[in-house]
Amino acid sequence: MASPLYNALFRRNFQMLGVVFVSAFAFEMTYDVGMNKVWDNINKGRQWKDIRQKYAEAEE
Amino acid sequence: MAPLTIASRALARGVARPTCSLNAARALSTSAQLQDAGYSSPFKGESKTTKIPDFSHYFNKGGSANTNLLFSYFMVGTMGAITAAGAKSTVQEFLKNMSASADVLAMAKVEVDLQAIPEGKNVIIKWRGKPVFIRHRTQEEIDRANKVNVASLRDPQADEDRVQKPEWLVMLGVCTHLGCVPIGEAGDYGGWFCPCHGSHYDISGRIMKGPAPLNLEIPAYDFPEEDKLIIG
Repeated sequence: MASPLYNALFRRNFQMLGVVFVSAFAFEMTYDVGMNKVWDNINKGRQWKDIRQKYAEAEE
Repeated sequence: MAPLTIASRALARGVARPTCSLNAARALSTSAQLQDAGYSSPFKGESKTTKIPDFSHYFNKGGSANTNLLFSYFMVGTMGAITAAGAKSTVQEFLKNMSASADVLAMAKVEVDLQAIPEGKNVIIKWRGKPVFIRHRTQEEIDRANKVNVASLRDPQADEDRVQKPEWLVMLGVCTHLGCVPIGEAGDYGGWFCPCHGSHYDISGRIMKGPAPLNLEIPAYDFPEEDKLIIG
């Protein structure tokens, strides 16, 4: 009657809740990683991790 | 007003009754219209604008009732997922906002290398703006601290309750009287002596004589490994 994808994901309410929460978790992780990459890209060369090697040798 | 409404309602009912059969005919024709492409109205002389258009093009042709379920629930679920992620992030960031910042955390703990402290010596370090006394006690001093009759003290506390390792005494160097910093290896009991008002502490930092009401305070500390002390 319905597609197997529907049966696998949304058939029962708790099933759908589980799918929603798991996908929220996955979405949040990918979103965070992606946004951090965007931030690092915008601030390239200005952050401590980018300029550290200039000063780390002097300390040692 | 009431008799008028009752009268008009009765009148309307009387008018409606003869048209009942007509209504049934109309209902019949509407259900039949699903199959027929065209719909002929029983009313004559109707205007073009009241003609019901042909919706058969939009009807579900597959025959199953829920072909759009997957898409609908996908959209609902996606919305729910994004909302859940946003709500979690909001709460988390709000709580993170209240926790200590990195510079505070960096100041909150002090690490001490105990190998640098010889036996029978005091070391004073600064921790959260206060002095902390660390004494490497000799066995003779530990015995002396244990020999004291606990019941006779102003603030009764056994020596083993004040130390984690008997040879290392760690305590806040703030006099419990008015907050002066006591002097080490001084006083009548060989412990600490507060010069401000003359409080004498013994080798376990317990008040023996003078105005101070309590023993010297013990901070939270830990020995993560041998010869290493972390205060905080």
